[in-house]
Amino acid sequence: MLEFANLVAALEAAPQNAEFVTFWVDEDERETVTFGEFRQRSSIQAGGLQEQGVSPGDRVVIIMPQAITAMTAFAATMMLRAVPAFLAYPNFKIDPAKYRSGLMGVTANLGAKAVVIDEDFPEEMLACIALGPDTKLIRAGNDLSTRLGIRVPVEGSDAIDPKSLAFIQHSAGTTGLQKGVALTHAAVLRQIGHLAEVLRIGSRDRIYSWLPLYHDMGLIACFMLPMLCHVPVVMQSSIDWVMQPQSLLQVISKTKCTVGWMPNFAFQFVPRRTPQKRWAHYDLSSLRLMINCSEPVRASSMNEFQNAFGIRQGVLQSSYAMAENVFAVTQSDIDAAGPRTVWVDAQPFRSAHRVVPLAQDTAGALSFTSSGRLLANQQIRIMRHSGEGARPDSVGEIAIRSDCLFKGYYNRPDLTAQAFADGWYRTGDLGFLLEGELYVVGRKKDLLIVGGENIYPQDIEEIVGTHTSIHDGRVIALGVYNPDLGTQDIVVVAEVERAELLNDTAELEQQIRSSVVAGLGFAVKSIILKPPKWIVKSTAGKAARSATKEKLMQEHPEFAGES
Amino acid sequence: MPSEAQEMIEHILQLLGKPAAKIDENTPLISSGLIDSMALVDLLVKLEELTHRRIPPGKVQPKDMDTVAKMFETAERVGKPRG
Repeated sequence: MLEFANLVAALEAAPQNAEFVTFWVDEDERETVTFGEFRQRSSIQAGGLQEQGVSPGDRVVIIMPQAITAMTAFAATMMLRAVPAFLAYPNFKIDPAKYRSGLMGVTANLGAKAVVIDEDFPEEMLACIALGPDTKLIRAGNDLSTRLGIRVPVEGSDAIDPKSLAFIQHSAGTTGLQKGVALTHAAVLRQIGHLAEVLRIGSRDRIYSWLPLYHDMGLIACFMLPMLCHVPVVMQSSIDWVMQPQSLLQVISKTKCTVGWMPNFAFQFVPRRTPQKRWAHYDLSSLRLMINCSEPVRASSMNEFQNAFGIRQGVLQSSYAMAENVFAVTQSDIDAAGPRTVWVDAQPFRSAHRVVPLAQDTAGALSFTSSGRLLANQQIRIMRHSGEGARPDSVGEIAIRSDCLFKGYYNRPDLTAQAFADGWYRTGDLGFLLEGELYVVGRKKDLLIVGGENIYPQDIEEIVGTHTSIHDGRVIALGVYNPDLGTQDIVVVAEVERAELLNDTAELEQQIRSSVVAGLGFAVKSIILKPPKWIVKSTAGKAARSATKEKLMQEHPEFAGES
Repeated sequence: MPSEAQEMIEHILQLLGKPAAKIDENTPLISSGLIDSMALVDLLVKLEELTHRRIPPGKVQPKDMDTVAKMFETAERVGKPRG
């Protein structure tokens, strides 16, 4: 258990000269700060924020590229007893007007006092920033370091009530932006306490991360955990990593990292995008845990990683986590060879949601890989659609209760009320429990998870539906599993207004592609245009997602992979 | 158009699985949604091969790879001779 009163007290208690964050750009370009230096930079920024009018309780939005300065700005805000929230950095693909309206929505909902951007925030993207009359724009470089070296006195951490809000986490996408998960100091401390205990985090550990700070894995596992457990973390930006996935191997080999987390697709993306002749070039023997988290866990992806780089048994593990619970709910047994895989009878599973285990590798059986056992003080209930508890051997919605569960979405009592039933948080994910282990079989209804990022299909459908050649409301965005990438591809099915528009679709497809990228910043894999009335409608007249998906699979067997 | 650029275009068409698509040196690839960020690694590897340069991670942003012309400019600017 962690004995600190709040997160700032934990940072203050860290040894002055111990290594904290290393930001890796390249072999000959990296920066390391000690806990002492990190604290000093944070308190200088805290002074700057205070000078700019930030007071206890204020919400502060931080929009910076992955960097030490972004982390110190986050800590600085907490030092002032104010509440920070990281948001994704605008990428060059996104239409500034779209980003601006999303940001407006978040800052308005949070009633943010300030938006902090980096010194090098691109001029052309300044159009992305629109602020309400009560929100101030602060540049981390100029505005916060004018008194470089002068420590502006900030109240000590004693003044921070552990029951007060520490920070707010958002899930991705414009729809997800409405849900700011509000977390207290006490909840974060309890989660990290449980996690550090089950993973046996100790002084010899060094965390590795390419995960963005606005994501729970990046923020909680790879920033809060090292900060509270006083262990070092080596991080690189997710863009640098995705452009050169091999760099993960280089960083771990050179800096001897011991623990990391990443979504399922990364376990096969790294070996497949690293030339085979270079596999033996790297030494990952320092690694004691690499945890598969945030996408459905697939044993085949983990095997690829393990075999390519000669990873010891027991290093690759799994976890089920979500921002609403601060982070992890379950963790696989780190003393076992790896997460368990079970084979279940496909027929009762599909027809009656029942789990009937079969012998290993039974032909035609479905296999699922475990996300592990509950962390301390966590409870799971498998619920039927009606809200009652389901039979123990059946699949249902995963509901959780724990001592680190969030209290609600910031300023959104409506969304909060929808999320809870009798004190249980209804995750929307589907799963089952077998011999005390959780198996997640499907993610939140409708939610797409691409490369570990949450994407709401409604965001895509809304954009596509605005095209004049597409019938508004007759668009469905689906996730289709891509075995080569180990993650989902986004497929959009849309009805054209008139059948003759299908004679030449190349240009229409390209317009749709461009508008999705401009609106949301990510690319759609396939666009399938269909004549009017093709999409299956529900009785309420709305496009029915699962029925349409089935129809698509029948007509286009190329999309019939598992999803 | 230099033959390296032509080779890159052919590589991209193959990657897209659309040999008949029309792409030239200035066609936006990423900002138009034709290519997603997970395919950037393939483009970088090809670029390194075609230019005989090493392109250090951290020196390239996706916007520097948005068109074939920009890719070669980027290799010129940040690439290091292969040692």
